[in-house]
Parts: sequence; structure tokens; C-alpha cells
Amino acid sequence: MSDTFSYLLMAWLDPQLLLLTALGTLAGIYVGAIPGLSVTMAASILISFTFSWDINNALALMVGIYVGGVYGGSRTAILLNIPGAPSAVVTAFDGYPLAQRGEAGQAIGLSTVMSVIGGLIGTLVLAGSAPYLADMALEFAPRDYFLIAILGLLLVSTLSGKSLARGIFSVALGAIIGLVGMDMVTAQPRMTLGSMELLGGIHYVVVMIGLFGAAEAFYQLHNLNVVPVKQKVDKIIPPLKMVLKYLPLSVRTSIIGVIVGALPGTGGDIASLFAYDHAKRTVKNPSKPFGEGAYEGLVAPETANNAAVGGAYVPMLTLGMPGDAVTAVIIGALVIHGLNPGPMLMIETPHIFWFTVGNLALANLFLLLFGLTGIKIFTKVVEVPKAVLIPLILVLCVVGTYSINSNMMEVYWMLGFGILGYWLKVFGFQTGPIILGVILGPLLDKTYRQAMSSVGDSGSDFLLALVTNPLSLVLTAVIVLVLLGQTPVKPWLMRRIRRH
Amino acid sequence: MFQPTFTRLALAIGAAAMAGTALAEYPERNIQGTIQWGAGGATDNVARSLTPHVEDILDTTIILTNRPGGTGVIGMNHVMRQRPDGYNLLYGAENPLLYPLMGLADFTYDDMHSVNIIGQGLVVIAAPADSQFDSFAELLEHAQANPGELRMGGTGAGGLPSTVLAMVNAVDELDVRNVTFGGDGPGITAMLGGHIDFMPLSLAAAGEQIRSGKMKGLAVLTSEEIEALPGVPPITQALPDIESFLPWGPFWGVFVHQDAPEEAKKVLADAYEQAVASEEFGDFMENFGAEVLNLHGEEAEQYLDNWQSVTAWAMYEADAEILEATPEELGIPRP
Repeated sequence: MSDTFSYLLMAWLDPQLLLLTALGTLAGIYVGAIPGLSVTMAASILISFTFSWDINNALALMVGIYVGGVYGGSRTAILLNIPGAPSAVVTAFDGYPLAQRGEAGQAIGLSTVMSVIGGLIGTLVLAGSAPYLADMALEFAPRDYFLIAILGLLLVSTLSGKSLARGIFSVALGAIIGLVGMDMVTAQPRMTLGSMELLGGIHYVVVMIGLFGAAEAFYQLHNLNVVPVKQKVDKIIPPLKMVLKYLPLSVRTSIIGVIVGALPGTGGDIASLFAYDHAKRTVKNPSKPFGEGAYEGLVAPETANNAAVGGAYVPMLTLGMPGDAVTAVIIGALVIHGLNPGPMLMIETPHIFWFTVGNLALANLFLLLFGLTGIKIFTKVVEVPKAVLIPLILVLCVVGTYSINSNMMEVYWMLGFGILGYWLKVFGFQTGPIILGVILGPLLDKTYRQAMSSVGDSGSDFLLALVTNPLSLVLTAVIVLVLLGQTPVKPWLMRRIRRH
Repeated sequence: MFQPTFTRLALAIGAAAMAGTALAEYPERNIQGTIQWGAGGATDNVARSLTPHVEDILDTTIILTNRPGGTGVIGMNHVMRQRPDGYNLLYGAENPLLYPLMGLADFTYDDMHSVNIIGQGLVVIAAPADSQFDSFAELLEHAQANPGELRMGGTGAGGLPSTVLAMVNAVDELDVRNVTFGGDGPGITAMLGGHIDFMPLSLAAAGEQIRSGKMKGLAVLTSEEIEALPGVPPITQALPDIESFLPWGPFWGVFVHQDAPEEAKKVLADAYEQAVASEEFGDFMENFGAEVLNLHGEEAEQYLDNWQSVTAWAMYEADAEILEATPEELGIPRP
């Protein structure tokens, strides 16, 4: 017990570890804020850099980068309507309208506090129930991931804005974009038009930077002469009353975040989507209508994506299996440092587990500190004249895209998606559903084929499994209920029944 | 702890400064290393463990970049299109030897110069801990009585599991449901949840799970029992005829443009040979469940030719339909 305690506090008491965690968190916030500069990339560069270091030092730096980076994506989402990372896409929905009203300071303040709450809840769940949560995550068969993807598709109604038909069109378009590349099963090129560059598919961050970053920059050309809104920066730290008011919601969305994060096939991006959808369904009187600057719309995704960090560590620390791309890189770091990530990690080297838990909590405290300072200067970005800001955004989009795979072709793709996104905006299409399609299309394709080949390609066995397995049955029931609640099927059925 | 990094940085700056004045001697600047698989994978781990040793020997910095996609086609294509000055290296796995066969690209490692074939991974056929089978022979027997019933975890056409399945089918018959996952990791996760019945895996990925008792090894793809997995029988016990394909396993190597200057090729070959032979890297490979090969020059070419011929013909004999071209058409000799 005393051992556990000393491992927990290791990062808090060692000045070097303290410094590295702080440094990582600070760097993470800025890496995360720039679209395309991803936490995964930063962590993998750090591996070769920290090769000769002590393992604890390397891990402390990576935990900091991870926690800071997931949060950082919200900054640009709120200020510029350009999410820094896929898990911050939803944050822009209500964050940007707040910035347009001059409340960027308070929005960032609230998202910081909520991110920290989400992060701490995620850490708490990791500390308290990692083995149980890992066992639960293993229960998810390919067909259950398929059902989750279907459930994700139903989010289209939440993300579509005014026209559902246009939303469905956008999701389908996104799914097609997501399916480009080499077929996972047969290794046949799909929709690559004979191009070798397209064999690897179109990276969804490229699509995101194009549709949100470049498209937003092009669209802002319409408002070149609009005087930027003066930002109120006197009230940055949200009052306790406000935090308490959103606490119940943030606990619920944090739980969603931890669970989705702990599933080895899904991460913070999907978690934030589900959390936003949950908020939209359950909050009856938001501070403003959703999509027009509701604080609830900010709280939900920000707690969920930071809680997903703790979740992603669950399968990594208990089973040696990555919960997302960043934990995959951290597993690589452990291997290189001569540790054996696997089910024995917690038994043979328990200090890694408790050290990580303590370190995550520490990184979240630094996040609170760094997140709440410097906001005043940061919000000035919005007040920069558009003629200066727009070229800067475009430069960042190009740099960010190039840095994903150091591939110039992807920069052209990004610009292409920027132009596409501009026209979609002009004609009243939302770009959010496209990203939904790009993320879910490949997941649907993969999991459906896995589920089908598991039952020997028998359609009836597949349908039977959906209702005979308890977990699948619950997911199926949720889908049916959502469908009934969202579509005109129910009133139509009621009318039929009444007529007879 | 900052010491070595700073030393390396200082050396790099020093080297850069000297390069401006002194005569050009390879390497006079940073070298770019492209890894054809993603961060955190086996190729990535091997590359990132080995490279610091090479940097020390060459007194330069090797900047590593992951360029994944299309089973490595994109990364390899990138390196081949750079200037052939010896400053662009490819860290690759076995896949490029099969590109023409799968119709993915018209180049293989024959179109590059092999600096070093670093090492080879061992393969184990694993099953969940509560599996009804204790050996591969039992599994084979069950599968032949119930064809098309067992669920095998795979990683797609040309991946390690389907190649092993092809080898088995070239000498015997194994009819299974092939459930495709994005890699070893997702496959193992599915196996831990009992969603697949068995999967051929690299020892690097499966070793820890087997040693901890979460999974069991049915057979190792060797002709003798191995030290890392005592008690797991070699596959030749169940299938003696498969010996003609062995030794076989996924491998990792470093490659440079075919037209790179001879001096660069020689400096690189020496540096990598020394780095791969280092004790520290040897320990890493052992811990990783892999065996060090450290081949260069003629030996490396021979290894690649043999690997390609064994794999291509096993795949052809098992199921010619999935291939885009026959080994014969591509001029690959029979093993």
C-alpha cells in the first residue's frame, strides 16, 4: 500500500519529473492547437529523442504532451472555428459562436476547467476500475463495434443543422472519401484511379484541415471588411456557481468519454461526438440554443475527450494493447526501453501503472494552470485584422498537413477539400457530417466484414447474433429506440394503430 | 540524463560547421530515415531502437519519419524518388518483396540497395487461453472434421497470417473463416475477448500474452522448439512437410537508393553492421522476440531472394486466384 502511494506521488515530488510534466503539458497545448500537428506525431518524435533517458522521465514528458495536446485542440476551435485536432471538431459548434459574441475568454476558461474535470474523472476511473473496464472492453465483438458505428451514423441528425437531407448527403460523401485506398481484406486498390499515392487512402486529418481550416479561411474572405468583435477578457475563470451548474452534465459526459476511450477501436474523436449528442438530447434549456453558443455544447465534448485519455490508458496498462494511436506510440516507447507491455506489466512493474495515474493527475493540474493563464493574449488572435489572419491560417494549414506524413500530395488534397468545403458552406451544407462519414465509413466497412466472416458469411447467423448476445442486444435496442424517437416512424405507426 | 542528447546535438552542430569548410566526406549532413510503417509498430520499434547506435557511429543525426500506407508502398516509393545521394534511407519490412505478386507496385527490394537485413521475427500460432486445442495438430484435426468452422484472425491478403495459412495449405488442408483485422494488436484484442479461435502472430506481438497465460501457443513456425517459448511444439511436429519453407518469418532491413555513391553504401554498411552487432541492440531484439541476422552485401541479396521465392510459391500453390501475377511470370524461381 505504501508502495502504491509512493509510486503515485513519484512525479509530484521529484523536481525533474515535475518540470518535465509541466514542460510536456505546456508544449502539448500549443502542439494540439495547431491543426495537423498531432500528439501522436509529437510523441513518436520524442521516442528517439528520449531514447537514452530514464524511462520515467520519458513517460512524464509524454503524459504531459498527451493531456495538453488533447485540450489544445479546443483553443483554435473556439477562436477561429478551426479545430486543432479531430476530437475538437464538435467544440467549434458552440465555441465559435461564443467567440463571435465576444465571449471567447470565458469560453476558453470554461473549456479549460471542464477539460480538467474530465481529465481527473478519467484518471480516477483508470485508477479505480482499470481491470474491470478492460475486461468489459474485450467483450466488444466486431459486430458490437459495427453497432456502435451505426449508432454514430444516427448522430447525423445532431450535426446536420437545419437540413437533415443535406446532412445525410454529407455523411455519405464522407464515407466514400474514407473508403479510398487499399482494401483491408483483399489488398485491392479501391477508388484510387490507378494512383499509387492514393493506395494509403486519404488521411482524415487532411480532410479535417481542408474542410475546417482552409474552407473557413476562404469563407472569411466574405467578411474582410467586418470589424472584429471586441473580446471581453475580464471574466476568464468561470464562477464556481457556473462550474457547479454544469457538474452533473460533465460527470455524465466524462463517463461516456472514459468508456469510448477504453474501447481499443474508438477514441476521443468519437467520444466527443457521442457526448455532444448526449448533451443535446438531455439538456432541455441550454444557455443558448445548441449551435448558437450553448455552454453545454462546450462542456460535453471538452470533458469527454479529456476523459478519453484516462480511458485509452486502460487497455494499454492492463493488457499491453493500445487504446488509441498515442498509447500505441507509448507502448513502442516501453518496448524500446526494455519493458514488456502486456498483461504482466501491472504485476511485474506495478510502479508504471501508479506512476502514470499520479502523473496524469499532475498533468491535469498543470493544464489548469497553463490553460487559464495567457488567455488574454491568445484571444487577441480573433481581433487581428482578417487580411493578416487569413493568410496566416492558410500557412498553418499547409504546414500542419505536410507534417502528418511529410507528403506534398496531401497538401494538394487539403487545398482541394478547402475549396469543396467553401462551396458546401456557401450552399448551406454543414461540414461536420462529412468528418463523421470519414471516421465512421471505414469503421463500418471493417467491422461489418469482420462480423460477417466470423459467422461464415451467413446473413441469418449475423442477425441472430445481434439479438442473442446480451451486449449486442443492448446496443441493438438503443439503436431501435433512437430510430423510433428521431424519425416519423412512431407517429406514423400510431396513426395506423388508431385507424384500425 | 540530458547529457547524451546534448552531446549528440553538439556533435551534429559541430559536424554541420565542419562540413562547410572541410572536404566533403560522407556523411556531411543529416540523413533522412523513412519508416514504411506507422508509429508504435514492429518496424518502427526496431528502427527507433537501432538508429541511435548508428548515429553515434556516424556522428550525424538520422531524422526518422513514418510514412505509412498501402502496406509500405508509399514510404518505399518516396525514398526511391529522392536524389540518389545516399542521404535517404528506407526502414522496411518484408512486404515489398510481394508487391508485384499482389499487384500493388512494380518494384521490390531488387530495385534498391540493401544496407543491412537487421533481423527476423519468430512466428507463433496462438489461441485463447481457454481454447479446446492444446496443439496445432489438434486444431488441424478439428478443422478437417469441421471445414470452414474455425475463425482465424488475419491481417489481409499478403499479411503474415494469410502467408502462414498458405504454407499450411500448400502441404495439407486447413479451411477456416478468415477474419481480417488492421494488424497484430487488434487481432490479439479480439482473441483475448474470444472473438477468434486462433491467429498466426509475430512472437514480438504475442510473446507477453502467452507468457502471462492470457493466450496459449499451439506451435512455433520453426523446426525446433525455441528458448523463448518452452513447451510450445515446433510446427513440423504436426506438419513435417512444411519444413521445406523454413526458416521463415517477417524481417526488417535498411535500404538505400540503388544509384547511391559507392562510398556512402560502404560507410552505411559498416556503420549498420557495427550497430546491429552492439550488445544493447542484441538485448532489445531478444526481449522483442526476434533474432538478429545482420546480413549485408551478397548474403543480404541471397536472403531476400530465398524469402521471396519461398513465400511467393507457397502463396501460389495454396490459392493462385488471389494473386495478380504468377511467380513464374515475375521470374521468381521455385524454392
